[in-house]
Amino acid sequence: MTSISDPVVKRDHDAKISGRALYLCDYPRDGILTGKLLRSKYAKARILGVDVPELPEGYVYADARDIPGDNNVQMVCDDTPVFTRETAEYIGDPIAMIAGPDPEVVEKLISQCQVHYEELEPTLDMETSEEFFFDYNYGKGDLEKAFAEADHVFTETLRTGHTEQAYMETQSMMAEPEADGSMCIHGSLQCPFYVKNALKRVLGLPAEKVHVYQDVTGGAFGGKEGFPSMLGAQVAVTANKAKAPVVCILDRREDIEFTSKKHPSVSVYKAAVKDGKITAMDIDVKFNAGAYTTLTPVVLQRGIICASGVYNVENLHIRGRAVKTNSVPNGAYRGFGGPQTFFTAETFVSHIARKLGLDVLEFKKANLCKQGDLTATSGKYHFRVPLPEMIQEVDEAIGYSRKHAEYSKPQTGRYRKGIGMSLCFHGAGFTGSAEQDVIKAVARLHKYSDNSVEILISNTDMGQGLHSTVPKIAAKELNLPYSKIKMKLPDTNRVPDSGPTAASRSMMVVGELVRRASIKLRESWIDGEEQVVEEQFKQPDFMIPFTLANFHGDAYPTYSWAVNAIEIELDTLTGLTKVIDACGSYEVGTPIDENIVLGQMEGGFLQSIGCACIEHIGYDSKGRIRNNSFSDFLIPTAKDVPHLKAMLHVVEYPNGPYGAKGAGELPVVPGPAAYINAVEQALGNKTYISYAPISAEDVCEILAKEA
Amino acid sequence: MVNGFFPHSLQEALEILSQHSAVPYGGGTDLMVQNKPCEAYLFLRKIPEMTQIKVDDEYIRIGAAVTFTEALADARVPQLMKEAVSRIAAPAIRNAGTFGGNLGNGSAKADSVLIEFVSDAKLLIKSLNKERLVEVDKFYLGRKKLDLAADELIVEVLLPKNGWDKFYYQKVGGRNALAISRVSFAGLFAIEDGRITNIASAFGAVADTVLRYKDLENMLLGKTLAEAKELKEEFLKAYNERMVLTRGRVSAEYRKTVCMNLLRDFLTQYGI
Repeated sequence: MTSISDPVVKRDHDAKISGRALYLCDYPRDGILTGKLLRSKYAKARILGVDVPELPEGYVYADARDIPGDNNVQMVCDDTPVFTRETAEYIGDPIAMIAGPDPEVVEKLISQCQVHYEELEPTLDMETSEEFFFDYNYGKGDLEKAFAEADHVFTETLRTGHTEQAYMETQSMMAEPEADGSMCIHGSLQCPFYVKNALKRVLGLPAEKVHVYQDVTGGAFGGKEGFPSMLGAQVAVTANKAKAPVVCILDRREDIEFTSKKHPSVSVYKAAVKDGKITAMDIDVKFNAGAYTTLTPVVLQRGIICASGVYNVENLHIRGRAVKTNSVPNGAYRGFGGPQTFFTAETFVSHIARKLGLDVLEFKKANLCKQGDLTATSGKYHFRVPLPEMIQEVDEAIGYSRKHAEYSKPQTGRYRKGIGMSLCFHGAGFTGSAEQDVIKAVARLHKYSDNSVEILISNTDMGQGLHSTVPKIAAKELNLPYSKIKMKLPDTNRVPDSGPTAASRSMMVVGELVRRASIKLRESWIDGEEQVVEEQFKQPDFMIPFTLANFHGDAYPTYSWAVNAIEIELDTLTGLTKVIDACGSYEVGTPIDENIVLGQMEGGFLQSIGCACIEHIGYDSKGRIRNNSFSDFLIPTAKDVPHLKAMLHVVEYPNGPYGAKGAGELPVVPGPAAYINAVEQALGNKTYISYAPISAEDVCEILAKEA
Repeated sequence: MVNGFFPHSLQEALEILSQHSAVPYGGGTDLMVQNKPCEAYLFLRKIPEMTQIKVDDEYIRIGAAVTFTEALADARVPQLMKEAVSRIAAPAIRNAGTFGGNLGNGSAKADSVLIEFVSDAKLLIKSLNKERLVEVDKFYLGRKKLDLAADELIVEVLLPKNGWDKFYYQKVGGRNALAISRVSFAGLFAIEDGRITNIASAFGAVADTVLRYKDLENMLLGKTLAEAKELKEEFLKAYNERMVLTRGRVSAEYRKTVCMNLLRDFLTQYGI
């Protein structure tokens, strides 16, 4: 290994590619009860009672009355129950769990349960709901003055849709009561200490009696950040009652219908433009939280911090509200609020340029933020903003300027082409001062007498490659062969709490702790002796402290940046769009493994294109999700974007390991705005599309209106 | 528990079907997904009579257990059929999926069945004591309803040998691979001595069965291109009025728009 970026074979590669890796559903089931949830059939209903069929021996029924501790799944606020309280708040709200040795018998018993409901009027439409969980406001400058002095004022309402994470392995959790009265919970999850803290409360047990570990996890994309605490609590309560291990593996339909997804959004934008510059923005963002708050406040916070995009807007007011509806609670989805507001910001700014008769990209360039500018929250862009260079790289790679000029000419015939470009950042790490005040990450290295070293952190590998990249850091600093560095899936009995695996923080924050711990160990190294070293998080000195009350200060120490260009061909007879070419430049600091990072960028790029066109959750009039299978909820395949190029643009970040910063979420952010931009051009720039995803059916409707 | 029968000849298969209740199993690409418990299957891929493609004086005869991949590799299979079959799912499914299975599943979305409708294909159906030839549009009685008795087996698909030169095809799926048709359209056109001799249009995935309106086709049969052009709008209007489409993964209105767009384009492409 000469450079830290040189690729290694991923440590989970052989086990996963050969099929030897054991996921929870591969475990032998002897002596293990299978749990299945009884769920509400109505979006809002009072639960009057449940007639439970007579249970054969060895079968158990558990509901809210069986919770030894508190019927709250700890996430951010206290409102998400383990099992329903008096009312069910969405279709699928879990009422109870039945567990037993034979899955088919369990299934039958669930179908025999008679739930007595009193149906109540549900709120299904986020746009008319008047119940708000959160209402944030912040701003800077003098909005009134800027609007009064403006040459032009623009307003637009923009919307983003509901999307499923679509990880390959469905949500799966297992609970095993142990002889000493403690409970062991394990499964497919992102954040073992989240599950541990939630379970302590639900089971009313002290920390030392709740033991959580991660099993091999087949993808998450944010979907396994909050939800495993809930499913973990349900299996643990049932296992506690049964005095036997209980496993629950959701089937795909259950997983799509009843687990957290990306928040749909509706935002009203208003902007003042003077002398070709955006001088002010007044933005009202609404996210649909669904029935309970789960992770919504933090998703919304990130969302509204991104709402003015990559532009330097000196006078700003942003309001952000989370709406309650009687639909499945929404939660973490790769990008965490950013995909919604970057789509709305980028699309709005493009539309302003078009309405002014200006070139979209030139107008964007004229308004870009740069190093030293204030951020939306009056923090600072402390480091170079590399967007101008990245725009040029993408332009050269895909021929954006040439194609954009060519496709601007009038097009006739069945097939028409368009190309669009979008820009974004992703704030690296947790929002605000949470790293310092809440998480307080600790990383530990354990050196054994054979001079091998084990990395002990709570961060998980769910396929993204963290357990292949972090050992590279220790190997480099300790001058040891890569194979001498050990790392296992985290177990809360063995690892310190280095925080959740979320927010694109693991490499930048925990990777840096491992680097510093490795230096410490190297400097105190005694051959053949067992040694333990630890490092704790320290906030970078340059940061302007962030206060959440008024959203003021550095929300993030630094930012990762992306530029996407997408070229499409549109079939005017069917409304189908084909991606002809797609090119992205990504700046995530130093890639700790070039292959792994490029893999993340390519996968995220494809995922973002899916969110632009075909990934769409549809409901019936009762609030039930209709497309609950992979033949109906479609995600793109490689055949949909045969030409997809991801490039890395490196600006080293001084406070991350070797210059690394956040990478995981960035690529899923920019795609939809570029895609919609391209579709508008192919449609002759006669229309303003202010929503994503756009379907073939939508395109046909637009064409019909124009005709 | 799955019970299976593995006949090595057509005679043996028909004997089994006369005595047992068993589901004919081609590639299993639909049946495996359904995964019904306690089902008995009749596996067809070892039956020589059903796994061959033959050509006689009148027909191209595709065995019901021929896979889509096998058909794609066979020079005798018409290009229009290949256009449709090449868009089914993905290579692994095409390696297993069969023509008989596509028919027997009974769906109006079946991509090979659309081509059988537009080309007036016939099906050879056999039971132990009887055999019959049935026109494909007569075989489909309604949504998932087939003219097929429990002891009968679809043995061959008989495609006409000629008339395939001028065709039109479009599949609208949710994505470019592994996608069930949301609308599909196939057209066949022929002209002899300046007069239209065939102008067949079939619409898939838009109703309970594949749709074809032979009486409307008659409007243009025997006409010159100039005469057909005169009748074009009337012809399209008749289709527009006749087609009553259902909603599915997409709306009925969208289906109608696409069907009419494609039908018009088909006419335009052949000079009408």
